[in-house]
Formats: sequence, structure tokens, C-alpha cells
Amino acid sequence: MKKTIALALVVMLAVTSLFANGGSESTAADADTYVIGFIGPLTGDNANYGIRCSNAANLAISEINAAGGIDGKQLRLIAENSLGTVDGAIAAYEKLVYSDNVCAIIGPVFTSPALAVAQRCYEDGIVMITPSATHKDVTSVGDFVYRTVPSDSLQSEVAAHYFYEVMGLRNIACLYAMNDYSQGLATGVEEIFTQLGGTVSAMETCMVGDRDFRTQLGAIRSTDAEAIYIPNYTVEDAQILEQAYQLGMNLPFLSSDGFSDPEIYNLAGDFTDGVIYVGPAQAEASTILTDFTAAYSAAYDGDLPDSFATNAYDATYILAAAIDRAGSADRQAINDEVKATTDFSGANGIINFADNGDMIASQGVYQVEGTTPVYLGSFQVVDGHIVQVD
Amino acid sequence: MLNFFLLIIIYAGIYALMAIGQNCITGNTGMLSLCHAGFFCIGSYTTAIMCKTFGLPFWFSLPVAAIISGFVGFLIGVPTLRLKGDYLCIATLGLGEIIRNIATNVNPVGMMSVPRAELFGYQFSSRNKFTFILLIWFFVAVAYILFRQLAHSRIGRAMIAVREDEVAAQSNGINVTKYKIGAFILGAGVGGTAGCFATAYTLTVQPSSFTFMVSVMVLCMVVLGGMGNLAGVILGAFIIEFISYFPQLVGLSSVIPAQASQIIYGLVLVVMMICRPQGILGRDKYRYGDPRTFTQKLSARLPGRKKEGV
Amino acid sequence: MDTLIQYLQYFVNGITLGSIYALIALGYTMVYGILKFINFAHGDILMVGAYIGLLTYTALLGSSTSAVWMLAAFFIAMIISMAFCALLGMFIERVAYKPLRNANRLAPLLSAIGVSFILSNGAAWIFGAQSRRFPYPFDDTPIVIAGLSITPHQILTMAVSVIMMIVLTLFVNKTKMGKAMRATSLDQSTSELMGIDANKIISMTFAIGSALAAVGGILASFDFRVYASMGTMTGLKAFVAAVIGGIGNIQGAMIGGILLGVLESIGAPLLGIPSALRDTIAFAALIIILLVRPEGILGKNEREKV
Repeated sequence: MKKTIALALVVMLAVTSLFANGGSESTAADADTYVIGFIGPLTGDNANYGIRCSNAANLAISEINAAGGIDGKQLRLIAENSLGTVDGAIAAYEKLVYSDNVCAIIGPVFTSPALAVAQRCYEDGIVMITPSATHKDVTSVGDFVYRTVPSDSLQSEVAAHYFYEVMGLRNIACLYAMNDYSQGLATGVEEIFTQLGGTVSAMETCMVGDRDFRTQLGAIRSTDAEAIYIPNYTVEDAQILEQAYQLGMNLPFLSSDGFSDPEIYNLAGDFTDGVIYVGPAQAEASTILTDFTAAYSAAYDGDLPDSFATNAYDATYILAAAIDRAGSADRQAINDEVKATTDFSGANGIINFADNGDMIASQGVYQVEGTTPVYLGSFQVVDGHIVQVD
Repeated sequence: MLNFFLLIIIYAGIYALMAIGQNCITGNTGMLSLCHAGFFCIGSYTTAIMCKTFGLPFWFSLPVAAIISGFVGFLIGVPTLRLKGDYLCIATLGLGEIIRNIATNVNPVGMMSVPRAELFGYQFSSRNKFTFILLIWFFVAVAYILFRQLAHSRIGRAMIAVREDEVAAQSNGINVTKYKIGAFILGAGVGGTAGCFATAYTLTVQPSSFTFMVSVMVLCMVVLGGMGNLAGVILGAFIIEFISYFPQLVGLSSVIPAQASQIIYGLVLVVMMICRPQGILGRDKYRYGDPRTFTQKLSARLPGRKKEGV
Repeated sequence: MDTLIQYLQYFVNGITLGSIYALIALGYTMVYGILKFINFAHGDILMVGAYIGLLTYTALLGSSTSAVWMLAAFFIAMIISMAFCALLGMFIERVAYKPLRNANRLAPLLSAIGVSFILSNGAAWIFGAQSRRFPYPFDDTPIVIAGLSITPHQILTMAVSVIMMIVLTLFVNKTKMGKAMRATSLDQSTSELMGIDANKIISMTFAIGSALAAVGGILASFDFRVYASMGTMTGLKAFVAAVIGGIGNIQGAMIGGILLGVLESIGAPLLGIPSALRDTIAFAALIIILLVRPEGILGKNEREKV
């Protein structure tokens, strides 16, 4: 029996060392490359978010490299799979930071892994920019943690004010998934909307991965809500829209940046007309977003980026600019330079970071006509009232 | 790379504890249970709540987690006693899912920034992996010794009798109910402590980590190592963790597509099972259809008669 | 009155949801009845079936908009997908389960989990991680009767699951092949002594079960979409349905599926708890049913022999 154990261990070590030589060659940070890590779910239920973000980051890096890199040095992205779990994200982090010696990290994509990794980044002193973890606590972990996605408190504030002040709604219902993203937005909108004097007549919940929402929709139908707010991921939103149609409901739908994924028009294109959603703002007279969309589509077989991928693209450019200014792979210097980012002009407009690492940005409002989102302008809440910025 | 290998050893230690618990339920007593993810969840939350919300030391949370998950094990054990085989399996799976579903509904974000475990002023940090390995594997060793003694005791023999033939065990005066519930309580308690260490390492608890796939993986570790074979299930835990992180360990994960790593994992599972269906170290010696009589089998188990009985 | 309509609508929703579970549970129950092991890969075969169906349907349809051809293409795609899945099921059985037939009963379970990993990740690799929509091959405008709405595809799903149930019951009870299957299920070695080729019977059961999974996958994808991990939760729910009804029992799968769907749909509003707890209701119901009837609703209570 002991022999078997010993044999098994020897085989494992042998296999490991066999691959280790080949592996270390490709992973060692050599002198003329800056290595950036990416953590996100690349397999499993929500892999499309991770894959899109890593694709966008890869695209940004190949653009930078094609333009000569940073001071002649090339950038390289190592994408690791978080499996969407805390354990997986920590393992990916350990691999990137200790085996690959990356100089900064983009990701993780979801909030809970982001919270776990943020704490490690803060302790180990390595910059982390998440393109999509919206929960308000992510940046409160400490220094070194940034995001290129608005905190859900910012987005829900603009959303609630827009619904109440601009659209004149007084009674809405929410149907949200029990995850950090949807719950953060829905409870945020509920709180502010009621403060403004409106009524939230139903807060219906579901689980991520649910495919049947007819019970919740039936409950909402029995209230006198004027509109339904659905701050969920694409697939859930698509299902809700279609099943509302099947149940003969014709209330207007309101949504969040999860709706910015063009996939929604493939899944529920017949039912998207009239949906209003709050998403990233667009800079006026800037072609960065359209150029990025075209380049992404060309590079990845006609797939289109969602707003999180756009955020990842911006994050990569912000990081590259910071590395350029820092002039070295020194993690502290990169952190100082990321913090010093001012008026960065990205695909999502002008980006600045607040002291805690949150993104300061206006929010854009879109209305879908058929299957085309029409930009209604970008908004900010100033002194308790919504103001159109441009 | 060494650092990552140490990480695998830590994860393997956490899962080894769970596998020891699962082995008590499935390997020794023969009940097919699939809710270790639930016990793991309870243990993780106990540590997070006690250390973060109430500011108590980590060490207090260990026995509390063991007691609470043991109690849940008891609650699960009592009603499901009537069920057998796959019916028991699916009922326990349902309970595991209920625990996760409720945890998600209470707070989908989970908890973060849990304080670290501390011993005489020394903090067990994820940055110093060696001490963490000592911590976790010390407890694996303790559990190993305790459960080994248990298996060789009168209680352990009674459990095995229940597994081999419930009716025969009952007619020999063994209180089947007592041993089945006892196995559930013990197995659940150990599973709960595994959750404590997981929280102490990652400092974050997320309800979506506790899917039924965790239970399935723990069961895999037990079957792969050899049912009822304690050294085997620990080895099983190590092998499963090793395979799942192998691509990252050797730097393959950034070269091949992420799905390919998962496919390799699945292939290894199938191949291993086909090559050694009885598990890597084989089941313990009480296999069904063993030509020896029941007394012979039992006496071979007695300590002292045969060295290295496991 | 409004409340009554509302609850009746929940009930109708539950039946339509349940008929999907029932359809998939039929395949589960077939395989379990013979081999007595949980085929964890069944859900992933369902997913493969949905993808194959979607791809063949889109390819066959081309740019045609003829209503007749749409329907014809849909059924051709379904048959192709059934055939493909039947072969896949037989292949999986041969490679991953047959060598383990005499091992302890947990070994094939593990092997099945490995197969499930390979299939779902393989599909994610080939087809990408995003969900796809299965276009309706017919006009899917909801039909409203007395304030209750139901869509044609839901009626189709219900009809198909009832037909499948009847056909399977007849097949198992009235044909020679079915008799051989029952014999193998009862006692494999004795049935071999009676001249039944058990290997052939098992292979065939897998083929039928997998073909059923393909039908279930295609019909489920109207409601659930097509994506690489669609088999996991759908398969689990279907298995729960099969167990509630009494696993191995064909009518039981149908009853279990419908019951599970109705409970999921109506449970949360009836108890006044958040809908996100619907899984808790479903699983709690499962446990309660099993406690009252440990072999499921229609399962046979096998007395243990001493």
C-alpha cells in the first residue's frame, strides 16, 4: 500500500517536472516583456463574461504591441480561469503573482472572487483593476484596488432619479436575481426611488441560472406597477422579456448595464423594443468605442463586446499608460501611476478614479428601438437632482 | 511554482478533512450521501460569523462549527433513515441544495475580510503557506488517527456490519439507527471543520461556492482513493486537487484553452475509474463477496493481529 | 376572481414547466431501471441533443421562410439529433460504463461525472459560452383562454411528453424487446441464462434513453435556451422528478415531473415566500414525499430479504 502511495507521488512529481521546464519558459517574466494577469470565469455558467473581458484585454494588448509596445517592451496577458469561485480565483491569483510574477491584474470579473482577490492585492501590493465587479465594498478593501465599472450605488442613484424625475414614473416593480450585482442595483434603486417619493410595489427575486420567471411576472402583474426594473444578466433578462410577452404583459421594462450585451438581441430581439437601460456613458465626438467594437468584432468572429468587455479594454489601456509612466514593472510605482490617472479618454468616455479607486463617470441612458440602442445622453446626480451632462 | 504546489497541498488538506467525513458516512457505514457541500457551507459561515461579526478567535469557531454541522447532520440523519441507496442520495443532495439556496437568499454576496486565525500572537496568513500547511495537515492527521481508532473500535465494527448487511447487523443486536445517525453526526462534524479552514485561508465566504458539485467531488475523492480506506481517501483528495490545478501548476493553463483543462480533468476521472474501479488503494478488506466469514473478517481488523490493517 | 385567475395561471405554468422535466425524467428512468445507477451525463447528452438539433435545423432551414418546410425541417432535425444522441449514448456506455459493470456501484457514477465534464466543456469549447436561441418552427403567439395564456410550443411539449410516455409504456410492456428489458432489469445474470443478450439490451436502453434526451433537450431549449451547461441543473431537476415519481417507473416520471413543475411554480406565492426560494420548496417537497413514500409515488416497495 505504501508502495502505491509512493509510486503515485513519484508519478505526479515526474509529470510536474516534465512540464515544468516547458512551462517556465513561457511564464517567466523576462526583461523585455511586461506581464499582466487576468482573472475571470473562462468555463462554467457565466463564462461568456470572463471570455469577453479577456478577449477585450487581449485585443488592447495586441494593439499596444502592434504600435511598438511600451518603450520598446512588449506587453503580454496571461489569462487564468477563476471558475467563478473564490477558491478558483485565489488559485489563479497565486499562480499569476507568484509563478508568473505579473506586474498588475485585470479582474476578477464577479464580485465575490473580486472581494477575495482584492484583499490579497492590497496585502501583496499589486494593482488590480476589475472591469465588472460592481458591489460597493470591492474598493473599500484598500489601496491598489480599482475598477473601470461604476459602483452599483452610483448606477442605481442615476437610474432611480432618471425613472422618477425624467420618466415621471411613480410606481415600479423589481425582478432581480439573488447575486451581488442584481441585488445591489435593485435594492439601491428601491431605496432611492422610495426616498424620492415613489412606490416600489413588488421586489420579486430569482436565482441566477433560473429560466422560468412566470411566477414572479404573475405576481408583478397583480400589482399596479407602471414599469418593471430588471437589473440582471443577459440571459435572465431575455427570458423575462419573452415570458412577459407570453403572459400577455405589456409593461415597459427598465434595465441596467447588463442589458448592454448585444447578445440580448439574438436571444430576445422581438421583445426588446422600448426597453430603457442605464449603462456606460459615451464620450461625445469620440470614435474609440466604435473603433473598438469594430476591431473586436473582426478579431473574434463577429462576436460583439458588452459593456464589461469595453471596461476591460479601458482598464488595459489605463494600466499600459501607467506602466509607461512608471517606466518599470515596479508594482508600487504602477499603483502610484494608476492612481494619478486623470481624464483618461477611453471607450467609455472620460475616466477618473476617486480616492478609493472607484471610477468617476457619468452614466449613459439608452432606449432600445427595435434591436438598436439609441443613446439618450449621459447623466449625473447633482444635489439630489438629475442633470444631463451632454 | 513551489508556492503553487503548496497551495494545492493546502486545498488538498481542506478537502481531505471533508473526504474523511464523507468516508465515515459512505465508506464505513455505506450510506450514499451527497450533502457535504452543505456541511462545508455551515462550517465556513460559522467561522466567518464568529470571527468577523462577534470578533471571537478562530479556535472557538472550530468546535462550534463541528457541533453545528454535527447537529445538522443529526437533523438530516434522523428523517432520512428510512431511505436507502439512491433515494437517500437524492434526498441528501436536496438538503445540500436547500442549505445553499437559503444562504444565497440571506446574503448573496457572502462575507469578506474575515480576521485571520491566530496562535500565540502568530497570524496564519495565506502568504506564509508552510505554517498554514502545518496547521491544516495537523488537523488532518488528528482526524486520521481518531477515525482510524474509531474504525478499529467496537463502534467502527458495528458501522461496517451495518454497511455489509443491515438486517444481519440488526439481528446481531446492533442498533442500526444509532450507528447510522452517529456516522452522520461524525461525518458532518468533520466536514464542518473543513469549512473553518477554508474560510481561514481565503478570508471570504461566498454562497455560490457550495454547489452540489463540491459534494460530488468529495464523493469522488472517497471512491477514487478507496472506500472505507482512510489513507486512500486522503490520497484521493490530494489527487483530485492535484489534477484540477495541474494545468495552472505547470503553466499550461495560459497556453491551452480553459475548457481543455476541464476536459483533461474529466478524461483522467474516467480513465482512473476504468483502470482501478475499486479505488487507487482499494477498498478496505470487507468487500462484498469476500470468501472469509464475518468473524474472520472482523478478527483481521482487530489491532495487533495484523499490522497495517488499513 | 383575479386572484383565482392568477393562481390558475401559476398552475398552467407549472404544468408546462413540469412536462419538460417529465420528458427528460423519462430518459433517466429508462437507464436507471436497467443499470441502477445515476447517469450524471444524461443532462449533458440532452445539451448535445439541443445543439445538434439547433445546428441541423438552422442548416436545413437556410433562408427559407415556408411554414411547411420550417415544421418539416424541425422534425428532420429532431430525428437527426435523436439518432446522433442514440449513437453517442451507446458509445459512452461502451467506453465509460461497460468496463465498470461489475465494479462497486459508485465507480460508474464517477465515470459518469467525468463524461459530463468532457461533454459540457467540449461543447463550451466548440460552440462558445454564450446562450443561443432555438427559433420557433411555427407561429408561437400565445393563446389566451379565459384569461389564461399558454403558448403553442408549451402545448407541443406537453403533447410530446404524454405521447412518449404512452409509447414507452407500450414498448416496455407489450413488445418482446421490452420484456427482455424488464428481465434484464430484474436480474441480469438470470436473464442471460434465458438467452437474452444483456449487452445488447443495455446498449439499446442507452440508445433509447439518449434519443429521449435529445427530444427533451430540443423542446427544453425553447424555454431554457441552448448553452453548454444547460444539462446540469435541468438534468438534476429531471432526476429529482424521476425519484419523486419512483425511479424506474415510466408513469412515475411523468407524475413526478408535473408535480415538481407545479410545486416550483405555485409554491412560493402560495406560501408567501420569495420566489428565489423555489428550489428550497422543490427539494423540501422531494424530501417530504420520500419520507412518506421512501420509494417514490409509484415506486415498488421492495421488501428486503434476510
